[in-house]
Amino acid sequence: MSVVALEAGPRRCPEEMTLDEIRNDVRNWLSEPKARAEVPTWRESSAEASSLAPWPMLTVNAVGGTTIHYDAVSPRLLPWNFASRSLTVERYGVGAVPRGSTLVDWPLSYDELEPYYDLVERAIGVGGTAAANPFEGPRSGEYPLGPLRRSGWNRWMHGAARDLGWHPYPAPTALNSEPYNGNPECTYCGFCASNGCYRAAKGSTDATVIRRAESTGRLTIEIGARVTRIEVDGEGRVTGVTYVSDGRELFQPAAALLLGTFVYENTRLLLLSTSTAYPHGLSNNHGQVGKHYMAHATPAVYGVFPGRRLNLWSGPWSQATCSDDWNGDNFDHTGLGFVGGGMLTAAHEAKPIALAGGPVPPGVPRFGSGWKSWLHANARSIGSAGAQLESLPYEQNVLDLDPAVVDPYGLPVVRVTHRVGESDRRGYAYLSHKLDLWLREAGASETWSADGIQLDPRHAYGGTRMGDDPDASVVDRVGFSHECPNLGVIGASTFPTTGGHNPTLTLQALAWRTAEHLVTNWSTIGSRV
Amino acid sequence: MRFTLSEHDRAVLDAVAERLIPADDTGPGAREAKVVDYIERSLADGYEEHRDTYTAGLAALSREGFGELSPDGQDAILAELERQGDAFFELVRRHAIEGMFGDPAWGGNADRIGWDLLGYPGPRHVWTEAEQELEVEHRVEGHR
Repeated sequence: MSVVALEAGPRRCPEEMTLDEIRNDVRNWLSEPKARAEVPTWRESSAEASSLAPWPMLTVNAVGGTTIHYDAVSPRLLPWNFASRSLTVERYGVGAVPRGSTLVDWPLSYDELEPYYDLVERAIGVGGTAAANPFEGPRSGEYPLGPLRRSGWNRWMHGAARDLGWHPYPAPTALNSEPYNGNPECTYCGFCASNGCYRAAKGSTDATVIRRAESTGRLTIEIGARVTRIEVDGEGRVTGVTYVSDGRELFQPAAALLLGTFVYENTRLLLLSTSTAYPHGLSNNHGQVGKHYMAHATPAVYGVFPGRRLNLWSGPWSQATCSDDWNGDNFDHTGLGFVGGGMLTAAHEAKPIALAGGPVPPGVPRFGSGWKSWLHANARSIGSAGAQLESLPYEQNVLDLDPAVVDPYGLPVVRVTHRVGESDRRGYAYLSHKLDLWLREAGASETWSADGIQLDPRHAYGGTRMGDDPDASVVDRVGFSHECPNLGVIGASTFPTTGGHNPTLTLQALAWRTAEHLVTNWSTIGSRV
Repeated sequence: MRFTLSEHDRAVLDAVAERLIPADDTGPGAREAKVVDYIERSLADGYEEHRDTYTAGLAALSREGFGELSPDGQDAILAELERQGDAFFELVRRHAIEGMFGDPAWGGNADRIGWDLLGYPGPRHVWTEAEQELEVEHRVEGHR
């Protein structure tokens, strides 16, 4: 078998990764050349016109994709996440599932995915402490690396969580706490998110699995190859893809195709690829492509620790202390009016523009001497804690093609229709309260938050949901299309629910499983009948 | 692509930035940090899409005689724009923060004035375990 990978972006290298907040975080240079020209548009309901999304939306185009700029926090989902509907109904009754929510169980269990979590943790080098999080599912192996070095802030917030009776643990991370597989250890520069690693100490796929795959000689990567359409034959099998390279339109034939282009682009390419066999878009004869879209809501609370030096501009984001005490169903939801929860995190990597541009406490002005003197007195002493709230799927939250906005190729961009559900709002308030408690327990004299619900749609999910029922999902339990036999889909677009953790490790484990299924069944999937 | 503000617009923008981040007893402000240099450079390269917002926003301020007002009068206008949720105000505030606290290589934060204000010692490739303890002070080598 030989594999051709088409990548719209370039190859990046460690030498390009400078410590520059403006270039990395403010201007998102890694989103060139493609993502910036096709940013998904946003609206809250189907009655509205779409407009520029009020949230960070930009992904990365390069070999290695968004793992180049991710913060590498790599927890597994909880076993509960794989059966959250049935376990919620069992414990709280069917009324606990909000009206309009399309909450479902995953078509596979934690135990079925566990061996793939273990494989991925070893392949990219995830560090952590196996017994530290009592809520984590059973593990077949230890983490291959220890967690990142503990900082003063990490220990301080760990202690505060213990004092509250919680169960804090060091963030599992794909940053090397020591040299691993030929890559060096992290040096705690703190320019990790929105940037690649300047010394390849991050387990981004370009520095780990892709490099090893290329060394087999069986993987060819075409860079600058912008796929515009997936082509099928009269029977509805994928025959290859059309792509643009250096202004020329080319065709890459394929016996089988794995589509792994991030949540938004997975849906977009399927919807753009209409044909006689699939008049409403590839694998969309059941009308499921683009449905069940979700994005993490991300409550964050800031606190000031008067007179203290926290030194949070040192260290990467994933040098963090976490808690799953308020995640999944690890606490009694009776009377709370929401499903799930989220991991709480107290992290590093407080860069100066983000710090100065962040929200201010009530009574502090946002400009002028009053603001400036507040910053001067407190910037060293501001700590924060954040959470990733499990956000439920709802009937009305969908992706489709925007009839009004096109990219430079004249192709419609994705339009997000998303409104935060009442249940999610209650979960957001609940987690915000826990974050507040944590900071106050640690000694914050004052705490505050940004106004309103904050979303991070870079933690995006759904659009090609995984399931057993073709009327309610796009791909099956191994990630292959219900309709098109030689098409697999990779990414968080297949997640039936978000969970309350970072998505990447889980989508990598699922990707490994899908690829293994393809290899094992190549004679049937890849054969031309 | 080449882009410069008119001398008049530049002066008005400089006045706005200096009221957003004024020189006071906590140290120098946006003017000395060359925040306007940062913004003008960004409008020339990177923020082309914001040029019209600036031109229109600065023209509106000029019609109110912003440049000739007292600092208190200028603050009152800015406070009113903030209260209205004015997009130009929010854009300038965001860009002024970038120009004050971003890397000096982009044209602002002259002499690391913004970083000094925060007590931020500047980017480093390596932070040691000892430097990551609470209360440890990070000195800036070769600066001031």
